Amino acid sequence: MSKVVEISPTTRHEGHSKLVMQVNDDGIVERGDWLSITPVRGIEKLAIGKTMEQVPKIASRVCGICPIAHTLAGVEAMEASIGCEIPEDAKLLRYILQCANRTHSHALHNILSLPDMHIPGTDVKINPFTKEEPVRSAALRIQRLREIAQTIGEIVGGEAIHPSNPRVGGCYKNITPRAKAKIYDLAKEGRLLAQEHMEFMISVFRDFQTRGTTEVGGVEVEIPDDLGYHRQGYMATAPMYGSSSLDANPTWFPERFTEVRPWDWYMGEVEISEADPNYPIGGTTPVGNKAWPQMEACTGVPLYDGQPIEVGPRARLVQFKNYDEKGAMGLQIARQMEFPDTMYGILDAVDALNTSGPVVADKIPQGDGSLGWAANEAPRGTDVHLARVKDGRVQYYSLLVPTTWNFPTCSRALTGAPWRLAEVIMRAYDPCVSCATHMLVIDEDKRLVAQKLIQ
Amino acid sequence: MDVLGNYKSVISARSTDKDITKKSQDGGIITTLFAYALEEGIIDGAIVAGPGDEPWKPEPVVATTKAELLAAAGTRYTISPNLNLIKEATRSYGLDRVGIVGTPCQMQAVRKAQLYPIGMRDVDDKIALALGIFCMENLSYQALEAIVEDHCNQKMESVKKMDIGKGKFTVYTERGAVSQMPLKLLSKYVQPGCNVCLDYVANLADISSGSVGSPDGWSTVFVRSMKGNAVWDGAIAADLFETKPMDQVKPGLDLVTKLATEKITKNQKNVDARKTFGLKADGTAKGLRNPYETP
Repeated sequence: MSKVVEISPTTRHEGHSKLVMQVNDDGIVERGDWLSITPVRGIEKLAIGKTMEQVPKIASRVCGICPIAHTLAGVEAMEASIGCEIPEDAKLLRYILQCANRTHSHALHNILSLPDMHIPGTDVKINPFTKEEPVRSAALRIQRLREIAQTIGEIVGGEAIHPSNPRVGGCYKNITPRAKAKIYDLAKEGRLLAQEHMEFMISVFRDFQTRGTTEVGGVEVEIPDDLGYHRQGYMATAPMYGSSSLDANPTWFPERFTEVRPWDWYMGEVEISEADPNYPIGGTTPVGNKAWPQMEACTGVPLYDGQPIEVGPRARLVQFKNYDEKGAMGLQIARQMEFPDTMYGILDAVDALNTSGPVVADKIPQGDGSLGWAANEAPRGTDVHLARVKDGRVQYYSLLVPTTWNFPTCSRALTGAPWRLAEVIMRAYDPCVSCATHMLVIDEDKRLVAQKLIQ
Repeated sequence: MDVLGNYKSVISARSTDKDITKKSQDGGIITTLFAYALEEGIIDGAIVAGPGDEPWKPEPVVATTKAELLAAAGTRYTISPNLNLIKEATRSYGLDRVGIVGTPCQMQAVRKAQLYPIGMRDVDDKIALALGIFCMENLSYQALEAIVEDHCNQKMESVKKMDIGKGKFTVYTERGAVSQMPLKLLSKYVQPGCNVCLDYVANLADISSGSVGSPDGWSTVFVRSMKGNAVWDGAIAADLFETKPMDQVKPGLDLVTKLATEKITKNQKNVDARKTFGLKADGTAKGLRNPYETP
């Protein structure tokens, strides 16, 4: 006889979400729904009628961990719609910004996932706040990596959180030779730290893979070998940057995308019949409460080739480097493997940068209403923005954000895991729930049905 | 209230660098100090009022060489929004130690950004040297044009130097002509925002400098902060300045004090008058905002 358990809210990720799970008598998830309960802010609706310069700056405020992704995808969707080719040096500045943001984001996520893990070879769980070694030096290394990344982002992007430098047509400013030298120095320091840190983090996740059990809220939980396995596919557009409809050979295909309502995909109304008041910290939802994922989920369910897919670090490595490790730890390890490339990416791009080159296109067309799209490989995966611009104003705007893609995939990946490890699986996706929550929901007839959610 | 602010020492000084004094308004204090600070690595760039796209219209620039500093030497009696670059200097310019020169209000802005950085991330710890200049009041560019071209009857393009002193606005042309306007005609041209300013000698700067109190070609210098003191001592040790004790120069500190007191007294009255600027329907006073008070 299956029971229903709910973890709400989930913790150590960005935004507000919950897990509703049907579990068997052994506490193993039979069907899990992971859903956003972040209030819909409706960026895509309020963008309509605003200028193409303003909208990416608003879209940036979707998320403060990966504002770079939304700024760049937003700006480049506008450029794709109006058909504007930006100068080479502006592309390089954006590329450096992208790499820097990925370093910072991955390092920040380490702080969030480490408390689930153990100091390798011991039963001691990692507390990132402790002054004890070896955790202290790892925490300091994370902070220095993030400081380096945010400083580089600040120089090329104008601002580390909500970059001010990117604009439709390129960037506002090129950097000075002095700033270029500063980026070199920081990236060289960061490259060594990133290597060291990647090795440390992989050893921690490998240790978790080889453990038999782990303790959650006083309960010793068995770790299945196939923790977080799923049979969905992967989607990625580039190892580092992205793609857009201006490319000669775009790597994302809008015709393969469809979206269904949470109504069609999530569980119906259920009553919570299992609870654990000791689940850290504060317990799970008490027995007798109701949950209704169909109605409560604040995201659409995007499909690629008719299926939910996984996006993110593993998807990129699978697509471009034949990575083949599955499961939650496989995903975590793939994320760490992206560390060195970000710093090499910065060094290569800054090498190629001409600090006296122009960074704004000579001509910025005002648009005729054509559909343009841009995909940015955000730290968490493919972030696609679609836009129609006419006479400098946005007529249509839609965001397909990494965590939106991952919500249904991750829900499937919960099956077969002890429910007490569901958050460990979810965290492997580095969820960014604010990012994922957006208004536009399209049903099979391509009609807007967001109203249904609001009722 | 101490109208001259806190300071460690006050000196009358002039740069020993002839390249600088040829172009400087008075003693060349600011240009020399920034050139010294650049050379010593105390700063790696300074925000100064560089040449703009119209004659005598300043444009804030980040100077990283002595040549750029020299291009900014001399007083332009119109607004130069130097704080515009304070954040950008730490971004695309990649500076770690920023120097900035400005009028008293601009020094206030620097200090406020350091203590209450609103949208000013990473600015506070990168201000390495803030140099202030004395300021009685400022003018819009149109006002400056009216004074130079109408009152003084000179073309802006021909002007070599402008100076306010001894009750006159004086314009010197490249070809040797000198025109003057009595300062009592100036008031209608003054930026209205200057009328509530309660700072004459840049009280919040590390070092502040101006012409009043010292002879022509010399400047009165207040060394205020620990940082300012270290830089000043270094510059003196490097023989960059000729100095005279303030009590041995004419007209001396008394005149500085007198003008500072006049400015503050007059403007404090303006500040106070704002409180009862208007009337409500019931006949009671309705005021304008006072930035020095918590609303």
